[in-house]
Amino acid sequence: MIKNPVTRQIKDNDGELIRAINDGKIDKFQDLVKRYEHRLYNFGLKMCGNVQDAEDMVQDTFLNVFRYLKDFRYETKFKNWMYRIATSTCIKKRRKSKFAPDRELSLEEFLPKDESEFNTELPFWAAQPLDKLLNAELAGHLKNAVVDLPEKYRVVFVLRDIEGFSTVETAEILNLSAANIKVRLHRARLFLRDQLKEYFKDE
Amino acid sequence: MNNEPHDHEKCLKLFRKLSEYIDRELDDASCREVEHHICQCEPCQACLETLKKTIELCKNMDDQPVPAAFSSKLRGLIRSVT
Ligand SMILES: [Zn+2]
Repeated sequence: MIKNPVTRQIKDNDGELIRAINDGKIDKFQDLVKRYEHRLYNFGLKMCGNVQDAEDMVQDTFLNVFRYLKDFRYETKFKNWMYRIATSTCIKKRRKSKFAPDRELSLEEFLPKDESEFNTELPFWAAQPLDKLLNAELAGHLKNAVVDLPEKYRVVFVLRDIEGFSTVETAEILNLSAANIKVRLHRARLFLRDQLKEYFKDE
Repeated sequence: MNNEPHDHEKCLKLFRKLSEYIDRELDDASCREVEHHICQCEPCQACLETLKKTIELCKNMDDQPVPAAFSSKLRGLIRSVT
């Protein structure tokens, strides 16, 4: 089959750097580390919940990127390809540790059961501007809530809402359908919303 | 509280679509349907606003700096393989 190379071009800010490395300028790999260590480290912190595992994940990800970079086909953004490696590294790491098995979040557990459970009044926190609300204590509470999310929901939430990937990109990274990504993201957000409600309930 | 008859089924239907609505991933017809319901349903407005605020808070959590010791260890490791 003849493929038109022009139509397969995608806009990738890392393309030039990756081509340079694959053309033999191997020392430029350090530029790649510099570019992504911060993002990957924070991705690891949210996914693994602790510094040691986050550091291990970042290290293993870069080593795997280095090992497989020659196979990168420029058909997707490099960053998305790298996150695919990072994600599977996180998940493998957790499988090895003694975490409880992943539980399902059903939409039903977040549904208001009847009208009486429907809150008419907007809680004060939902009306507060962000800078009035977000302090170190709340941030700590939120981070714990993210780590408490079952993994299959957490990974979708972190990729979508923290790392900023689109639904389609997240689906590609995780090898899931876009519909599946949307369902998991919605449940993850509802879970976090419940944690916030709980946090603010006495105020 | 208003005393208008309240169609709870509509609320439940909308509840499933709130994230897609916030992310602007609904088609035009569904989007209009959501907006039509929400502007006359206070519980759903509260639902939408709390969910939006949750997302906003999460998106604004601070990043942590990479520990300097780890960063230099990583560079050393990369230097040894490149
Ligand atoms: Zn409603």
